[in-house]
Amino acid sequence: MEPLHPRIRIVWVVRAVLVAAALAVAVAAAQRWLVDSLPSAAAVGVGLLLALVGVAHALLLFTNWGFELQDDALYLERGVVTFVETSVPFVRVQHVDTQFGPIERALGLSSVVVYTAGSRNADVRIPGLTPDRARSLQNTLRELAVESEAEDAV
Amino acid sequence: MNRLHPLSGAATALHRGVAGGSIPFFLVSMLDGVFDAVEVGWVFFLAPVGFVVGVAYGAAYYYRFGYELAADTFDIRSGVLSRRSREIPLRRIQNVDISQGIVQRLLGVAVVRIETAGGGETEAELAFVADDEATRLQREIRRLTAEQHAEAPDARSPETDASSAADRADSTGADPDPRPTLLFDLEGRELLLLSLSSVSLSGATLLPLVFVVAGDAVVDLLVSLAEPLGGPADLDDASAPQYGLFAVVSILYGALAAYLLGAAYTFATYYDFRLGSTGDDLVYERGLLQRYSGSIPVDKIQTFSIAENPIQRAIEYAGLRIETAGHGPDGSAGSQSAVPLARRRRVEGFLERATGLETPSFTRPPTLARRRYVARYSLLAAAVVAAAFGVSRVWTIPYWYASALAFAGAPIAAHLRWRNLGYAVADDHLLVRAGFWRRRTHAIPYYRVQTVSTRRSIFQRRLGLGSVVVDTASSRTFARGTPTIHDLEVTDARAIHEETRARLEAARRSRGAEGRELSVTFS
Repeated sequence: MEPLHPRIRIVWVVRAVLVAAALAVAVAAAQRWLVDSLPSAAAVGVGLLLALVGVAHALLLFTNWGFELQDDALYLERGVVTFVETSVPFVRVQHVDTQFGPIERALGLSSVVVYTAGSRNADVRIPGLTPDRARSLQNTLRELAVESEAEDAV
Repeated sequence: MNRLHPLSGAATALHRGVAGGSIPFFLVSMLDGVFDAVEVGWVFFLAPVGFVVGVAYGAAYYYRFGYELAADTFDIRSGVLSRRSREIPLRRIQNVDISQGIVQRLLGVAVVRIETAGGGETEAELAFVADDEATRLQREIRRLTAEQHAEAPDARSPETDASSAADRADSTGADPDPRPTLLFDLEGRELLLLSLSSVSLSGATLLPLVFVVAGDAVVDLLVSLAEPLGGPADLDDASAPQYGLFAVVSILYGALAAYLLGAAYTFATYYDFRLGSTGDDLVYERGLLQRYSGSIPVDKIQTFSIAENPIQRAIEYAGLRIETAGHGPDGSAGSQSAVPLARRRRVEGFLERATGLETPSFTRPPTLARRRYVARYSLLAAAVVAAAFGVSRVWTIPYWYASALAFAGAPIAAHLRWRNLGYAVADDHLLVRAGFWRRRTHAIPYYRVQTVSTRRSIFQRRLGLGSVVVDTASSRTFARGTPTIHDLEVTDARAIHEETRARLEAARRSRGAEGRELSVTFS
């Protein structure tokens, strides 16, 4: 099972802290204009609690994430609250993208997105790969998908 | 390049003309309030100009719209200012549907829709063509696709090979369109049972309309209906209990009206339903006022599903639906009724002939799963009681604590949910069954599986359970949720996950080998 690059933790932690901060600001605003009776520490408390939960979630998510190229399928494991194991048979791969957002790019990371013709989880995203690994994974998946030639997917 | 029916030219021109005429109308009346320079009087000049421009555009659209059925593609060129030219490969076509409203039937025209996989909308829509041209197109597409299949047999599914070895001879032989072999004909009794037993909400959407059109008359009628039962004689002057009784009686009559409208809607939809097969396609037609007819290539079928509600289960009837990756008629994404309603045994027999699938015995999830549902529905009951308590703080409700009876319902609901769950791992299909109000049994061929997932929530992990989610390309599942085997022992869930994968791989290999072998013979 191949883990993600450890730097992805920074992306997730930063994201969690930003969300917590935004909600803390919302609580502070509500306290200022709507509910006077709320203690002034509420915003700080909510912010800290959410940040703590978010950071814990991010760290656990990293330890739980893993993917593997098996004989006939791409296999992924992920999730904290709901743990999901997914197999994407190579024959079902429609196309493969590499993508990266601004934070990911700043940290030198990128994602591989695998598309199938399925209706749900039709795109499977593997985040937190180095650009080289992402490119090699994309190439491997493409070759494997061509090799197993879907003569008529839908 | 063929043109659409001349009537559609007139219809488009009129439609665009009205649109073109009304735009200046709105624009001028809006701008009139903002700018002094704009005067209302301009409308009398601008609206006719807009109408003429609209008519001209509509006419141009009609003359610039062309379609053609080539040997292996269906081509459409359209657009007045920006041209669009589409070529749809025939082997990518999922289904071809024809629909005809009442007016269209009187005028002898029809709408043809050609569906491909992917995207949320119809790939090509021809509105309108003459009705014999519509049937010609449907038949020709079928014939040309069958010819292509005969040339490239590797693109066929094993089941069609089995079922249509005989058909292939005549689909490629001298007779281009053999009369469809009738597979199923909805009898009057079945149609009535279907209308009465399926609770369709489609009719209920008409109720608000009735209120808008004849609100006062409806209220008067409801008052006179409730009065003999102790309702108020006059709405302006009544006591609280009278109002309460009036409300209850009105809701009951409303529900009855919605039910009857729904039944009428179902009746009109499935009136004179017939399913047949010709060559490698299934063809169906149905409808009382609006006629639908469609053809579905057998090798585009993703899954079959049997649907039944409690009433239908009690009288041992069921319906069978076909799911494709296309977009279906009247918004029912990619799902067509193959057998609207028939005796359960007959439906199972039909499914068996279509897929070679003998009705297997279903395995239920462990009773541990039922415990989860008791907890889940108890939480729901607690929410009901909490809501009743909250409301009782604001308004006085007598006996609000009676809502605690909801807790008694939790174990019953849990048991019913558990009882209707099931799965079976058959030779070529995975069968997944779930639902009490509308129980669906999906038969998923392994070679149609797109991805397989095992999901375990924190609650499931505590009990050592897991769910298997099997995704296919059938677009029906967008709205209905992907077929899921709920709450198995984790080891069983993983075993099914692996099994499904292995069988998909095996099916792929055998189909691939077969295809290569045959293509060698053919080339």
